[in-house]
This record gives sequence, C-alpha cells and structure tokens, in this order.
Amino acid sequence: MTDSIRLSTLTQLIQDTIQSRFEGEIFTVSARIMNVKKYESSRRCYLTLEEYEYGTKVTEIRAVFWANTYSEIEKFEKVLRQPFKDGAEITCKVKVRYHKVYGLNLDVLQIDVAHALGTLELERQQTLERLVRENPESIQLYDGVYRTYNNRLPLPLVISKIALITAPNSDGQRDFLQELKQNKHQYQFTITEFLTTIQGDNAHQLILEQLQLIEQSKEPFDLVAIVRGGGSLGDFKPFDDYALSAYVAKFPVPVFTGIGHDRNQSIVDLMAREQKTPTKVAAMIVEHNFSFENTLIDLRRRISDTITRQLDRAKDRLEQAKRIIRLSSPQDILNRGFAIITHNDQIIVDPKKITEQMQLQTILKNEIIHSTVTKKTKNEK
Amino acid sequence: MKSDLNYNEAYIKLQDLVEQLEDGNIPLDKLAAKVKQANELLAVCENKLRQLEADIEVASRSVVKTEKKKK
Repeated sequence: MTDSIRLSTLTQLIQDTIQSRFEGEIFTVSARIMNVKKYESSRRCYLTLEEYEYGTKVTEIRAVFWANTYSEIEKFEKVLRQPFKDGAEITCKVKVRYHKVYGLNLDVLQIDVAHALGTLELERQQTLERLVRENPESIQLYDGVYRTYNNRLPLPLVISKIALITAPNSDGQRDFLQELKQNKHQYQFTITEFLTTIQGDNAHQLILEQLQLIEQSKEPFDLVAIVRGGGSLGDFKPFDDYALSAYVAKFPVPVFTGIGHDRNQSIVDLMAREQKTPTKVAAMIVEHNFSFENTLIDLRRRISDTITRQLDRAKDRLEQAKRIIRLSSPQDILNRGFAIITHNDQIIVDPKKITEQMQLQTILKNEIIHSTVTKKTKNEK
Repeated sequence: MKSDLNYNEAYIKLQDLVEQLEDGNIPLDKLAAKVKQANELLAVCENKLRQLEADIEVASRSVVKTEKKKK
C-alpha cells in the first residue's frame, strides 16, 4: 500500500490534467438531451448529453447552460417551435470543465439551431412526400400548393354550426369564442366544443380522436375549427403528424386551423385552411357570413332598381299615351280653334258631300253656327 | 270598360288605340268614341300600376320585418 494522499490533491491533479488537455478547446457534439432541469429565474439549465446506438445508451455526460448561454435555449425554442425537453436531439458547442466539488461537466456554449432546423425540415418534407404518395386521391401538390379533399370542400353560404377543437380554458378557446360572440353584425352561431389537450407528445392522437367524434356524431356541422393558444410558444410537432394530417386532408367537413404561429405552416395547416390564430379563424367566419349578407343586400337593391325602372318606364308610356289621346279628342281640336261641320247631326268628313243650299252646323268651342251653303270653291292654299 | 283586364292586356289595347289616333285615320265621327275608350283603358292601366306599386312596397316592408325578427 502506497502512502495515501489527500482527495483534494487527487482532484486538483485531475483538474490540472484536464485543464492542461482541454484548456481553450471547444468541441462540437451531437447528442440527445435528457434530465433537463431549467431554472428560468436564475437562467440556468442542468441536463445530461447522451448518445445511443441501436437503442442502447453508449455514453452520458452532465452538461450545463449558464446564465450567459441560457438564451441559446430560448433561441432553440423560438426558432424550432418545440420545447427544449428530454429526448430532443441537438448539436452544440461545448467546453470541458472539471470542478473539484461538482465534478466533470460540459459547459454548453451554443446550440446549432440551423442543424436542428434542417433535421426537422427534412422530417417534415418526408412526411409531406409520404402524404402525397400514399393518398393520391385526396392530397395533390400543384405549383407548391397542397390541394386536399378537405381544403377544396365548398363552404356553405352561411356558416352557423361550428365544431370547435381546442384545449379547455385556453387562450385560444377564449379568443375564438369572444370574437364570434361579440361580432358586430350580431350573427348567431351554434358552437359545439370538443375539448382536449392540444400540446404534448400525445396531442396528435387526442386531436384525431376528437375529429373521429365529430364524424361519428353525424351532426351537420358547417365547419371544424382547430384552435390553439394566443401566440404561446408551444410544441408544433402534433400538427406535423402523418396520421393527423392525412385524417384532416380527408375529413368531410371543412377544417380551419388557428394554431397560433406566424412564421411556419404546420402540415395540418397545409391540409386544411389556415388562418394563423383563433381570432382570425373566428373573424373569417364572421366575414364569410357578412359577405353573403352583402350579396343579398346587393340582390335586393338590384331587384328594387329593376322594378323602379320598369314602373318608371310604364308610367312614361302611359303619360305619352295620355298626351296623344288628349290631342286627339274632339274637344281639344275645338279648343285649338278648329271647327266641326255637321249636317243633320252627322259629322261631315268628306267635303264632296257638301252641296249648295245644304243646311250645315259649324260647331266651335263655345258656339254652333247654323248656315246655308251659298257657294263652294276649291281651297287653293 | 271591362275591369277584369290585366295590365298587359289593357296596355296592348291602349297601345293599339293610340297608334290609330296617331295615324289620324279615324273618321271624326268615330273619334270621340275611340278617345273615350282610350281614356278608360288609360285609367285601368294607371290604377293597375298604382296597385302594383303599393303591393311591391308592402312586400318589401314585410321582408325587412321578417329579417329583423330573425336577428
């Protein structure tokens, strides 16, 4: 047995060795994150970085985000639209550090978000390609636009009966209902809520089950709205799920999504009709009905204009007829200074019938002149 | 004058009479009778038109009322 040394001497030796080997060196590693513990108040995050081969863990090491690199986690969540949590795969820059009390750790300096984004995008593209390949009847890609059975379903002229899939007591639920109930046109809607968890690992399955319930209910819904929370940062993954996306694409009632994101489109968005936020879905519904009402108002105006025009034309024609009748009446003729000649109460139209010595009556406006014809000559004028 | 004529029937007859009057071929001794007939047809047409206007007005008002009730 050799002489013992103090533990701190040994750990100092380890620290010196590690320091001399790794001092100033930065490594880029890819690993799965596990045991994630985030302390937002102190802006620290403790976790383990792990590597697996064929499902078996082959290595594990503790890692830390300190306050000065904690923003990397926030950037990861913001850009990738998924929470920084157990099971996520990351590529990151790390520095090896050994502390005599806290042991061996990797200080995480930076997450390669672009790499993670690329991986996610690749998965997304693969899902989209599979959807088109395996559902050619109901999903087609034309000029970069996904045309599905669902998003090509015609909307009813008036939307009134709505199935709402959302999380109970969520911002999305509140925003959607408020926008519909307080619509300025006072349209009335019948809304049936299908409440479920909309975030988390199993959310895609739960949403799909709600769609199945809607289908089984046989209620004549005009529209299905899937809405989620007022811009909260949430897990985007359920809405990129193959089974849910395929189900939405084939769903027999028009589906509108408002799942609270501005930059990216989920696959479910592409299969349905996307309105970005719950409020926008509700506003679209109100606008759709308003547009129909406008069409009715316009039709009524056109009917009224046509009738008015027809009546005016009829009145004009009658006025014209009235004028001609007035001008043609015998009384009017007399009023204008002409005279009517009669013989034995018969109007004489043909002057040839007038002979000399014939007794005639000349009818003027106010008088009748009785006379005898003494002479008859031609009117040379 | 038969009052059971509808607007179109009355108007066609009126139009025919007016054309005759315009042509000036009606013998003067028949003119008064034609003018009288034309005036009667004119009255029929005007009455029908006024009734039609009133009916349309009532129909329009009842549609607006029904819509307001719905709201």
